[in-house]
Amino acid sequence: MTLLEFARGPALQWSTIILVLGLILRIAGAWLLAHDKDYSRPRVDAAWRGGLRAVFSRFWPHQPFVRQTWFHILAGYVLHVGLFVVVFLYAPHIAFIRDLTGLNWPGLPANLVLFVGALTAASLVAFFVRRLVHPVMRTISTLDDYLSNLITLAPLVTGILAYAHFGGRYETLLAIHLLSVSLLFVWIPLSKLAHVITFIPSRFQLGAWLGRRGVKA
Amino acid sequence: MAVDEKDFQMFREGTQQLASMAPPSTMPDERRVEVAKTTMLAKLTADMAFELESCVHCGQCAEACHFYQATHDAKYTPIRKLDLLKRVYRREQAPLRWLHRLYTPDVTIDDLHEWQELVYDSCTECGRCFMVCPMGINIAAMVNVNRQAFANAELMPAELRALEMEQGSGYSLFGMGPEQVEGFLTHLRDSGVNVRMNESGVDYLLLTSVVEIMIFRDALLATIRVLEHLGLSWTIHCEGYEAANFGMLSGVEAVQKVAGDRVVRAVKASGAKTVLVPECGHAYPSLRWDQANLDARGQDFEVLTVSEFLGREVEAGRLKLRPIGKGKKVTFHDPCKLGRHSGVFHEPRVVLEALGVDFREVESSQELNWCCGGGAGVFLLNRASGLRQGAWTIKQQQLDATGADSVVLSCASCRLNFMNGARAAHWDKGIESLVELAAAQLAD
Ligand code: SF4
Ligand code: SF4
Repeated sequence: MTLLEFARGPALQWSTIILVLGLILRIAGAWLLAHDKDYSRPRVDAAWRGGLRAVFSRFWPHQPFVRQTWFHILAGYVLHVGLFVVVFLYAPHIAFIRDLTGLNWPGLPANLVLFVGALTAASLVAFFVRRLVHPVMRTISTLDDYLSNLITLAPLVTGILAYAHFGGRYETLLAIHLLSVSLLFVWIPLSKLAHVITFIPSRFQLGAWLGRRGVKA
Repeated sequence: MAVDEKDFQMFREGTQQLASMAPPSTMPDERRVEVAKTTMLAKLTADMAFELESCVHCGQCAEACHFYQATHDAKYTPIRKLDLLKRVYRREQAPLRWLHRLYTPDVTIDDLHEWQELVYDSCTECGRCFMVCPMGINIAAMVNVNRQAFANAELMPAELRALEMEQGSGYSLFGMGPEQVEGFLTHLRDSGVNVRMNESGVDYLLLTSVVEIMIFRDALLATIRVLEHLGLSWTIHCEGYEAANFGMLSGVEAVQKVAGDRVVRAVKASGAKTVLVPECGHAYPSLRWDQANLDARGQDFEVLTVSEFLGREVEAGRLKLRPIGKGKKVTFHDPCKLGRHSGVFHEPRVVLEALGVDFREVESSQELNWCCGGGAGVFLLNRASGLRQGAWTIKQQQLDATGADSVVLSCASCRLNFMNGARAAHWDKGIESLVELAAAQLAD
């Protein structure tokens, strides 16, 4: 089995299994803790509406916070939208997913995706540097934060190198790219990157808690 | 309607003595660590677990916190205040605890000592940080879990320990118990105020507080005047008159329940359908949201805070107020526990509108209002005075930007903190009570 065959085959399969099972474990493990029934009289019924609202409204901060958190808004949007574009709108990725699932959709021009990929990588570097220099971020950062940053950066960098055929044989570069994706898949459920899914119940509970008190989250 | 300077001064001096009144704790250190951890684990819910699982360590919560903003010291970053809770969760309850244990240090007695300042002195549980957090992490609620853990480990600040022990044992506060309160009310009645005491078959049970009796008597008199003006049937009941709950503020749930149960007994004895909470921030959520859960059954009475009650009566057309006029420029401070924690935003504004004043909303208002820095018992902590004053400076700037001549409040704790802050900063704007303003303008 060549490195590429390994990366494409067992590595990706197993890391995907770990990704899915790991995230289920993270969610189920938290879910199994106590769910306290709230006996107080709600100010507003149907608190779940507040929860649902918060899941979406927290994609953008309240106006008075915009100026103070501009870095996070800018770098955060570039990072998250950028990852979406690179993962789901790059033609070879779409083809890869089509071969696995039969689903298909149109992609964006490769040059544009490359540009977005570079911007996305830059946002991660910016986050990394800010983590090192900003007193608040430096104080609360853990190894998880730095590793999560680098492990997210890896597929972007290896992807760009593979696209550019830079630094080695194309097959080897592609294999390294796929292995870095596998590493990311394994890392997500083990780290703070699990927020890709836990952000939903987390935002929901605050929105619902405030919602039943008549406060908009 | 002015507060008697002498009363205020005496109260301030009294609070400075509180720490010396707390009996020293003799709990051994290992036991403290064990008790703190056990409490944290017992209090962690699924919701909190999702929150702790979701933090991305972005640090944006610091932007919302008055204590960080006042000091720019990263140790006051809100999420850092939960560090011990997070470590206990990660090591003992998290789905990946087998992994986390390898690199997450256990909580030590030194940690508990270090974090005491973070969960008491530098957090008013105001909740402004949960308004900015992209993950919706309710840091305020989890700081309260920390306080419960610290309280059980007998590691709360001495001032709060003195008060919760006093309230838990004999229902007195600041040396004033049921007998003295009854004496004060009788004296009021003898001097011509229509105080209704220990009546039954009434609609409203009015609570007061020792702080109101000691310093803000005008607010109590104003509330009574409004109730009488509206011709409502009401009573103050000596079985349960105290709104303040130092069990809640210190984190001693048993005392919180004892104090809440007294009010519930007074509700039963009076037959009231509605409990009227005076101008006191934390008293409202304690009774409105927590008490039913401490009882583990629903409440068959309604809880209203006085600003909420006034607003409803005005809206229903039952309470008519004579307009003061636009010459009076006021702004309003939403107490965190009534506003952000309880949704009382609309009603006080209805009252201000009925008063016809030139009302100026602060920037970043209502759900996003800045805390004054004195809530959750922080006002009483001697060693927190520097932090508090720093936080109050932010509040002062926010108020000044409105151009108002006075700020209207509906919480006695905020009022005390504003008076203190204003005095230290030589701030000369007015600090007024909403119910006092309304009661002075009752129209026939
Ligand atoms: S803002 Fe929320 S996600 Fe960010 S560090 Fe604070 S608690 Fe964590
Ligand atoms: S609840 Fe208020 S005081 Fe406490 S950390 Fe959050 S913003 Fe700061």
